[in-house]
Amino acid sequence: MLGEFEYVLITTAVGLGEEAYGAAIRAEIEAAAGRKCSLGALYTTLDRLESKGLVETWMGGATAQRGGRAKRMVRVTTQGVQAAKEFYNTVMRVSRGASWVAQ
Amino acid sequence: MTGLGWAVVQGASRLLGRDDREAVMGDVAEACFGFGRALSDVLDLVIRRQVDLWKNWRPWIAAFALVLPCSLSLMGLSLSVSKTVAQIALHEKGAALPLVLLGPLLLGWSWAGGYVAGSLSKRTLWASAVCCLLPCLFCLSRFHGQPVSRYCLLLFVLPAIWGAWQGLRDWRAPRSLAIGVALGVTVLAVATASGRTALFACVLIWPAWYLIAAMRRDSQPN
Repeated sequence: MLGEFEYVLITTAVGLGEEAYGAAIRAEIEAAAGRKCSLGALYTTLDRLESKGLVETWMGGATAQRGGRAKRMVRVTTQGVQAAKEFYNTVMRVSRGASWVAQ
Repeated sequence: MTGLGWAVVQGASRLLGRDDREAVMGDVAEACFGFGRALSDVLDLVIRRQVDLWKNWRPWIAAFALVLPCSLSLMGLSLSVSKTVAQIALHEKGAALPLVLLGPLLLGWSWAGGYVAGSLSKRTLWASAVCCLLPCLFCLSRFHGQPVSRYCLLLFVLPAIWGAWQGLRDWRAPRSLAIGVALGVTVLAVATASGRTALFACVLIWPAWYLIAAMRRDSQPN
């Protein structure tokens, strides 16, 4: 099963679609989770997910905003989507009856 | 971020691979964070990448089983070569023959050692460099009472750097060169070894045979 951060990363990348790359994913995670996300954690987690076949990454286009440097683009694979669904369903199942879950 | 701050962050990013550096420096530029956050972002990834690299056996072997002991032996060999050259300069009889043996041995062994260190270390080459630098500094600081300059200890450094550069670039030695270096270094090491250090020296010539092993590995069909 996915880890918490792996789930957050996959879900964020799916939400960003064609615009999923390092800085954009980090900005989304920080905005949604309200906590800092280091690039080290982001890229090492991406590597792990890629080695499991859950995401694909490639070096994309450069922009002037980035000083002409390329982006590491991210695409979630079908297995990645499936793994995220399983994680979500598991969390929902085990959360039933928890006092903080709205009835 | 100031120009100096950016230069520091860029310097730190040199410890990353090319794609990592490109992506991370682009992300840092895009995010417009201050110096502290930018540097911690880069260093965080550098440390995580280094930890990953050191989970492999290769950098350990390169730094501690090759570079550290070979540096000591090669400094001894460099000193022998320098003394022999000094004897030749003084027109001492019989000094030329040892130089014919020791010179090629120093060149071949240093180059092969550097080559293997570069091949095995890659992005952990900095650790191998430290493992070479420390014994060199120690020996240089204690060097006295010899007829030659203390810097003669470092004769092995240039061919070793040359070998390390080729190893880093995954250059593969042609079959004839690999066999020639392996046999030559072995024969010369056995011929010139003496006393208690003989076995030590013979064990430490394994980098020369690594060339042949690497050549055979590359020639095998996948």
